Amino acid sequence: MSDAGNRHTTFSQAALLHLDALYGFAMTLTRDQTEAEDLVQETYLRAVRAFGRLLPDSNLKGWMFAIMRNAWLNQLRHTRNGPRFVELDAEDGDHSEWLGHLANDPHVLYLRKLEHEEIRAAIDNLPHLYREIIVLRDIEGFSYQQIAGILGCPAGTVMSRLGRAREKLRRLLADWHSAASTARTKVV
Amino acid sequence: MNHCEHTRAQMVFYLDDELQSDERHALEAHLRNCAACRERYDQERQFLESIRGARPLHSAPPELRARLENALSDAPSPHTAPPELRQRVERSLWRFNLAANRPDRLRRLTARAAMVVMALLLGLWAWSEYHKLRPYPQPSDFALMAVDTHQRHLRGQLPLEIASAAPEQISKWFIGKVGFRVELPNYQELSGQEKLYDLEGGRLVGYRNDYAAYVAYRMQQRPISLLVTSEQTARPSGGEEIVSKGITFHYDSISGFKVITWADRGLTYALVSDLEERGQQSCIVCHQGTKDQNFIEGLKP
Repeated sequence: MSDAGNRHTTFSQAALLHLDALYGFAMTLTRDQTEAEDLVQETYLRAVRAFGRLLPDSNLKGWMFAIMRNAWLNQLRHTRNGPRFVELDAEDGDHSEWLGHLANDPHVLYLRKLEHEEIRAAIDNLPHLYREIIVLRDIEGFSYQQIAGILGCPAGTVMSRLGRAREKLRRLLADWHSAASTARTKVV
Repeated sequence: MNHCEHTRAQMVFYLDDELQSDERHALEAHLRNCAACRERYDQERQFLESIRGARPLHSAPPELRARLENALSDAPSPHTAPPELRQRVERSLWRFNLAANRPDRLRRLTARAAMVVMALLLGLWAWSEYHKLRPYPQPSDFALMAVDTHQRHLRGQLPLEIASAAPEQISKWFIGKVGFRVELPNYQELSGQEKLYDLEGGRLVGYRNDYAAYVAYRMQQRPISLLVTSEQTARPSGGEEIVSKGITFHYDSISGFKVITWADRGLTYALVSDLEERGQQSCIVCHQGTKDQNFIEGLKP
């Protein structure tokens, strides 16, 4: 096999190691399994076409995350005439419906004990920009600088947004606990 | 800001592994001796561990993995030229070799000259198109960070770590916290200028895995932000360039704010405001009462 062929195979193998992480990020962006799968496929195809431009010491995972985010933004521009992050403006929106549903559902009351499920649900209910940054930092473990590269923003923005996102997540979990306790009291 | 407040502000950076070793050691030493901060630290650590313990949020379905493995093994390597292209290039090279072997030196020279002219014309066109779109080069990363910091401060997300109107107190506060000396001369006093703006305080802001110094001013209820870092960390660039007293000032407008960046004696500065004046006129707003006429004359367009 030629050098180019070897590099291609090595790249494919290395890129596939990040499949779960990329799929998770795609779910974070799209919140839809079919869309997420399409986005993952699109990301890998773009990466295969462009990996010749990837410098040897670059962070492959971060590079693929950046490709995915750009691909997703492009899709949004085409389908919605520009990305909309209205969720961020509505960050203090009313989650009572979701909380009420969780608080009244016996199955969810049982799951309440499973902390991870709670956290996953809470992350899923964050506004888009907050969800994205929590996933990049706390789930995928990227550094502030790497996140800045993926999101195309200054590291200062990463720090401040991450701080707000965690605060929101903390409040969301606290609200959830309080709603669940109220529901439990009513049942008793 | 006392040690406890500073430690609490730094805790999250520590837990995110974003502190340098000396900062880490200082924080660890404080935690060993302060029960209240240790308790706060444990809460923060548990919260972050609980989030991180939730990973992975999703796992790729096996069908998707299989589909991708097939797609990647079938995809042509981007470094392998298609056979048709290879043949076309080979034919072109063969023709070129034939032509090159002819003793037609003048023809070859003419062809090369034509290529040079074409390249120059293309370059000229690209340059003019670029400048039609944007009259000045792109702002520096440091200028963008300064605007972002200014906006965060306006939104109340960046509380000051030291509140003081005394430049020497703020300069002193930054000693040992940043890797450079932040000198804030009392320009108004030194130049005999009437008091047009007030110093409010300062704090640290993260920039490129290090800290930059942030200093807040206010001029008739209008906030003004000054960011300082070392010249090794950031160099001013972009925007409209004006040279005054041997210093090149870069004026730019980012997200509706006026930004001036410059480097002087090993430090790089960025000043952000919402002053409406254009370019160097915005400097004159703060320095208008100064007796240093050379300074003002140097800034006039």
